[in-house]
Amino acid sequence: MPPTATTTDAFTAIAEPQRRRILTLLKTSEMPVNDIAHVLGIRQPSVSKHLGVLKQVGLVYSRPHGKQRIYGLDATALRAVHEWTGGFAQFWQESFERLERYAQQLEDEENPNA
Amino acid sequence: MPDDQTARDREITVSRLIAAGRPAVFRAFTEARHLDRWWGPNGFSNTTHSFEFRAGGSWSFTMHGPDGTDYPNHIEWLAVEPPERIELRHGEKPNDPDAFVSTVLFEEAEGGTRVTLRTVFPTREQRDRAVADFHAIEGGQQTLDSLAAYVAAEISEEERS
Repeated sequence: MPPTATTTDAFTAIAEPQRRRILTLLKTSEMPVNDIAHVLGIRQPSVSKHLGVLKQVGLVYSRPHGKQRIYGLDATALRAVHEWTGGFAQFWQESFERLERYAQQLEDEENPNA
Repeated sequence: MPDDQTARDREITVSRLIAAGRPAVFRAFTEARHLDRWWGPNGFSNTTHSFEFRAGGSWSFTMHGPDGTDYPNHIEWLAVEPPERIELRHGEKPNDPDAFVSTVLFEEAEGGTRVTLRTVFPTREQRDRAVADFHAIEGGQQTLDSLAAYVAAEISEEERS
């Protein structure tokens, strides 16, 4: 599966579980490709492909470090994802949880012996 | 860019399986005394100023945040079709130009009722603004650090399962 073909933004980029593992790892510190591959147990070419996608959508940055490149988490691109999930959707998810408890209470009031 | 891509940029859908029968779930929308009890995120409460549950009617209320902040709300009911569908326009005041339309579907499902709220914003900018506003309601203003923590929590959740 070519990872770049369908990836257009941060949302689709983080839909891939391995990429989320890479992001979590990069949260702790910047790292070269080899280290990421080693820590996560993913083959290096695969890590490079994922990093390419993540870089393309602005979720990671890279900088030269000696003969290799170091990768790090660029959380600004995640802000859109976070606001999306943390704002409006969160509002409704929590409302629906409360709705569930309330609807159950309504049913109990109707059928006190059930 | 294909149309569905464009629509996806402008919509937000939230769905939940609720462990209660459809009549009770729908009924929780039909009266202010019900809505006041569950509308809004955890820690919020509501005071209703006026309420008329019919197509063309409206619900005017104030949401009280856990930190004491008050949020004015005005909802127009555009369609009321018991027990399966409600369409509403949600804004801060009557004729709010930033109001947006949501559809709530109630479907009987194994284990209860699936409730799905789908909101399609007129523009992507309006969606982003609404998202940012609701984010503020949630007590947002989160730092990028806590954002990273959120992503990390998501992942460890995944690894446990």
